[in-house]
Amino acid sequence: MNMTRRDMIKLSAAAFAAGALNIPFSGRADAAGGDAVEVDRWIKGACRFCGTGCGVYVGVRDGKIAGIRGNPEALTNFGFLCVKGFKGYTSMYHPDRLKYPMIRDEKGAFKRVDWNGALDAVAAKFKELQQKHGKDAVAYYGSGQCMTEESYTFNKLWKGGFRSNMVEGNPRLCMASAVGGYVTTFGTDEPAGSYADIEKARTFFLCGSNMSECHPIIFRRIARQKLKEPDRINVIVCEPRMTSTARIADVWLPADPGTDLAVFHCMAREIIKNNWIDNYYIRNLCRFTTGKQVVDFNAYVEFLEQFTPESVEKITRCPAANIKEAARLFGSQGPTMSLWTMGLNQRTRGVWANNLVHNLHLITGNICKDGADSFSLTGQPNACGGVRETGTLCHLLPGTRPVADPKVRAQVEEAWNLAEGTIDPNPGFHTMKMFESLGGENDASKAIKGMLITTTNPAQSLPNTHKYIKGMKDAFLVVLDIFPTRTTQLADVILPAAFIYEKGGVYGCSERRSQLTGKCVEPPGEARPDLWIGARIAKRMGLEKLIPWNGDDAPKNYKMAWDDYRNCVKMTEHTLYGMTYERLGKLEAGLQWPCPDEKSPGTAQRYVRGKDPLMDMPEIVKVPPTAMIYFYADKQHEGKANVFLRPYVGAEEPPDKDYPFFLTTGRVIEQWHTGTMTMRVPEIARAQPNAYLEINPEDAEAYGIRNGDLVKLVSRRGFNVLPARVVKNSLPGILFVPWFDQNWARMINRVTIDAVDDGSKQPEFKICAARIERVGDPKDVADMTVISNVDAPFPQKIS
Amino acid sequence: MVITGSAVLVDRGSAEDVIERLKQYPQVTYHVASDAGTELVVNLEADDFEDLERLCSRLKDEVCEIVDIAHIYVNFEDEIHKIRSGRVDKTRLKKPKFFDER
Repeated sequence: MNMTRRDMIKLSAAAFAAGALNIPFSGRADAAGGDAVEVDRWIKGACRFCGTGCGVYVGVRDGKIAGIRGNPEALTNFGFLCVKGFKGYTSMYHPDRLKYPMIRDEKGAFKRVDWNGALDAVAAKFKELQQKHGKDAVAYYGSGQCMTEESYTFNKLWKGGFRSNMVEGNPRLCMASAVGGYVTTFGTDEPAGSYADIEKARTFFLCGSNMSECHPIIFRRIARQKLKEPDRINVIVCEPRMTSTARIADVWLPADPGTDLAVFHCMAREIIKNNWIDNYYIRNLCRFTTGKQVVDFNAYVEFLEQFTPESVEKITRCPAANIKEAARLFGSQGPTMSLWTMGLNQRTRGVWANNLVHNLHLITGNICKDGADSFSLTGQPNACGGVRETGTLCHLLPGTRPVADPKVRAQVEEAWNLAEGTIDPNPGFHTMKMFESLGGENDASKAIKGMLITTTNPAQSLPNTHKYIKGMKDAFLVVLDIFPTRTTQLADVILPAAFIYEKGGVYGCSERRSQLTGKCVEPPGEARPDLWIGARIAKRMGLEKLIPWNGDDAPKNYKMAWDDYRNCVKMTEHTLYGMTYERLGKLEAGLQWPCPDEKSPGTAQRYVRGKDPLMDMPEIVKVPPTAMIYFYADKQHEGKANVFLRPYVGAEEPPDKDYPFFLTTGRVIEQWHTGTMTMRVPEIARAQPNAYLEINPEDAEAYGIRNGDLVKLVSRRGFNVLPARVVKNSLPGILFVPWFDQNWARMINRVTIDAVDDGSKQPEFKICAARIERVGDPKDVADMTVISNVDAPFPQKIS
Repeated sequence: MVITGSAVLVDRGSAEDVIERLKQYPQVTYHVASDAGTELVVNLEADDFEDLERLCSRLKDEVCEIVDIAHIYVNFEDEIHKIRSGRVDKTRLKKPKFFDER
């Protein structure tokens, strides 16, 4: 049979897809042989976007990236990729890439300088600010998109070198409540189980997550299970919008934003009333507590009595019958796996919402078993690995351990060869307080005078953004990024950074899995890896001994930093000492911690003897020899998890007569965060060229709004003007706006609220009160705004 | 030209009907189905990525038993050369239509 090149490509592509799906494919595919994409080599790595941790292979030809494909051996995605995974990397060749260091001159324009000039200026100014205003006068603000080695390095530089805990990162905006939830319930961060539980679960409880758009590959794994066995597999979706995720749901729980605490308590009540509980777990693994006082199970039952389905329907608008059915599926049709993300986390009661989902798993025994887990999905590719695990937040040290704990400080000081007492015992400022405290040298009310920001865009991503713009403008702001952004518009120094495939390094995804990406190509112009930038600043500030990985060989630098980190957390619950670069380089799927030595296969399920190596490592945690399941991070040393009696509290700013709508915000499948990368991919930009206001038809009719009409959306903090999208997705009274748009008129964080959770300090992006008015007929606003010119002035007058 | 190796996820029991209907689309080549009949392996062919997205939307709209389409392998062909030469075609950034006109 004659086979054309096109036929070969098609067969090869089909064979690859069938292989990923475990579907036997005919021998004809063999005739196609090899790769259809012509590249010099394929380099293993991880996807740059959400927290799923999809394994990829990056194709390189003549020193440029020529293609990308899913890695069928990756245990996260089995070869599947979404549109961002396939196309997002092309942004790295966009002409807007920052290629040279720049310093703002006296007239306010950026001037190209060489690296020595830029780094000397940064180091000198940081030194000056620290000398004049104290060690905490210069802050670090990082990202869940930095490589693990980078976050670790900046954390070490600040906490060990500058002796300052003014270290934060954007995971405070997305994952802090999940951390708070895990730590308060189980004593330590991150899930017990793995994505592998998806294929073993019978019931899925998806709450506060539009997974089909935000984690499409995970959604696909669940959808495959549901489609295979639609009568046996159950899906419950708790979400105020009828999202595309809800399309596969058996039960939809449409609770008003911020009211789901009542739903979760009501489900617990129904579960107990119908005896769908696990008495072994309740007796041996649960501690019932108000947070201040330990109580017994009966007190918990009594507490739940107030949450009858009918009363909860009145609070939440969620039908009582739906809650009852959800409780039945959750409690009696296990194993049950819950998955959630920002809908639970970005709240003033985010930690409590996380606690209450954990409650359901604990009382029903749906944890530490195959297919049963309470699993927080991460929003960014390295929020878990890079920030949570390395402790790159103001209150943490590596291993997600509190800086306030003298034993932890002593251990880290020893690992870093620092004198005892070097690390400050007092936590620094959390993100919102940090930006509130940022300002000019002459402003005595502002404690922080300088900041280094890397791989994130707070001038667009902070809630109630404009409140913080002046501080960023007045302070000495150093920004590392690959493109001009709203934040570089406020910077004094711009340092051009390398893209993931131009440097390599480790990402750790939602399931405690670390994966190594190899360096594929050189960065453009004079762009440099963040690690090199941080290490060179350290050298200039006399801290070369602390951060010695400052050579020109990027992979060698990253390996040195990784080994330093591995050693630092070797004797912790989060040990990944067995994850050497050599192993991570060879293994297709990476490894999950705990991974205490080089023979360890990693850990898919924590707290279970025979599966979690720490259960038999008394040098790290103490576990009774007879215990099969034991929550070894329990602060009371009883091996129990806390079931909380949290009172019902709604949102910080519920609708009222002046602002009668709930406003909620989120992502769309095509765009990523503030759109700085994805908006530079033409196909993606065209697919979602601008933000919009999603509104229910009933509300639209009441306000005389038709599809495409321009609507002014106003909160107590600011306003946007957006085109209307009239759809039935949202309940009446609920508005939705995606947050990727850089256009000033449609930057939704000018409208959102900056109230934070008491425990996690995470802001309530998901809920505020708003009002609307129709302001015009349809107008073409599909401008696909990006900031291309570094000298373009910030749109707001900064007084 | 973009050529994919993709999975078409379909409602249980609908595979035969869907395979028959896919024959009406010259850009789709069906290869094999999973044992459960819920995943079909296909090639999709399109002028560029945007055209591919349009094709997927059309398929999902017109064949209601299709739940999702997932690409596992994408051959970009011409696009590779464009990327290799460092060119990004800004002229292709034409504006889409309004929502209500879609």
